[in-house]
Amino acid sequence: MSDTKAATGQPTPQAALQEQETATAAESFAEFKNSFFYAGRTDLLFKFMKNLPDAEAAEFLHGLLARLGETVDDGDLRRILDYVYTWNVRGYAHEDGPKNPWSYDEGPFSPLGKPLSEAKLGLLTTTGNFVEGDDPAPFGMQGLTQEDTFNYIKEFAKAEPQLSRIPLDTPPERIVTRHPGYDIRAMVADRNVALPFDRLREAQTAGRIGSLLPEAYSFVGLTAQRPLLSKHAPEWAAMLQAQQVDAVLLVPV
Amino acid sequence: MSVGHVARVFEEAGIPTVVIMSGVFAHRARTMRMPRVVLTPHIMARPLGAPHDVARQRAVLDTALDLLANAPGNGTIVEFPEPYRPGPGS
Repeated sequence: MSDTKAATGQPTPQAALQEQETATAAESFAEFKNSFFYAGRTDLLFKFMKNLPDAEAAEFLHGLLARLGETVDDGDLRRILDYVYTWNVRGYAHEDGPKNPWSYDEGPFSPLGKPLSEAKLGLLTTTGNFVEGDDPAPFGMQGLTQEDTFNYIKEFAKAEPQLSRIPLDTPPERIVTRHPGYDIRAMVADRNVALPFDRLREAQTAGRIGSLLPEAYSFVGLTAQRPLLSKHAPEWAAMLQAQQVDAVLLVPV
Repeated sequence: MSVGHVARVFEEAGIPTVVIMSGVFAHRARTMRMPRVVLTPHIMARPLGAPHDVARQRAVLDTALDLLANAPGNGTIVEFPEPYRPGPGS
């Protein structure tokens, strides 16, 4: 029977079920895959799905489940990690279109003027770290939590960068990570995944690096690009040169 | 792309830089002609390695320090060869 109503004029049980499904199935696949990007299901490890056309996002999820099925029996997580990494690359490759203003044919280069074992090294990251009690208060807001930042993604993108100073002897538990753009779980578990204080100190102790600046620097990489380029980065360079830095390790996330 | 701007400005000012970043952003390293870059095939937001994987973090930093000392010119990109591994490693 193609009609949704029985001859009596009353809806059949099947038709009633169909209507109910239509009412609850309001979310399209596109909405679903995009919801990982700051909408409902925010998960920054998978936000790249928003960059993918529907068919590719479906292919990714299909493949992910297939690998999960294979992993049930042999426990080899490697295939899932490799797969997620490969699709991350694919997702972000879509990000910069042909109109990208920050594309260059060549770039500057300064050679290290002395042996590394005599050089003074600095560390600057875009990981959004600061010392507890020294909140940079982006766009005037004190005490934002990591969760809060997801509601201010546009404000971060428009605000000028704020550089936080983090003394190298700061205890790990006093270093706050707050950034709207990446999955901070690893960073919270061990700062050395992107803020390698302990690894740098080891390298200095081993004599590989001459010395380290007494404090590292961090800002939220999701920031207004033009003021960063024309104003803040040149000021930071001058500030580091005033400390006789010989080279800087940069870590983005 | 913030780090690309910082790297370029620092190098222009005479400060050598080396970047450690996840290969997820390899396209940025290339389009922005970052001076020296170590790309790690690591899941995003873990550029030096998994939490507490001291050996991997050390190996990645060591690769970056070698690159800082030895890169012949702008746009030198080294791809760290080992895939991401979860846990504290061995």
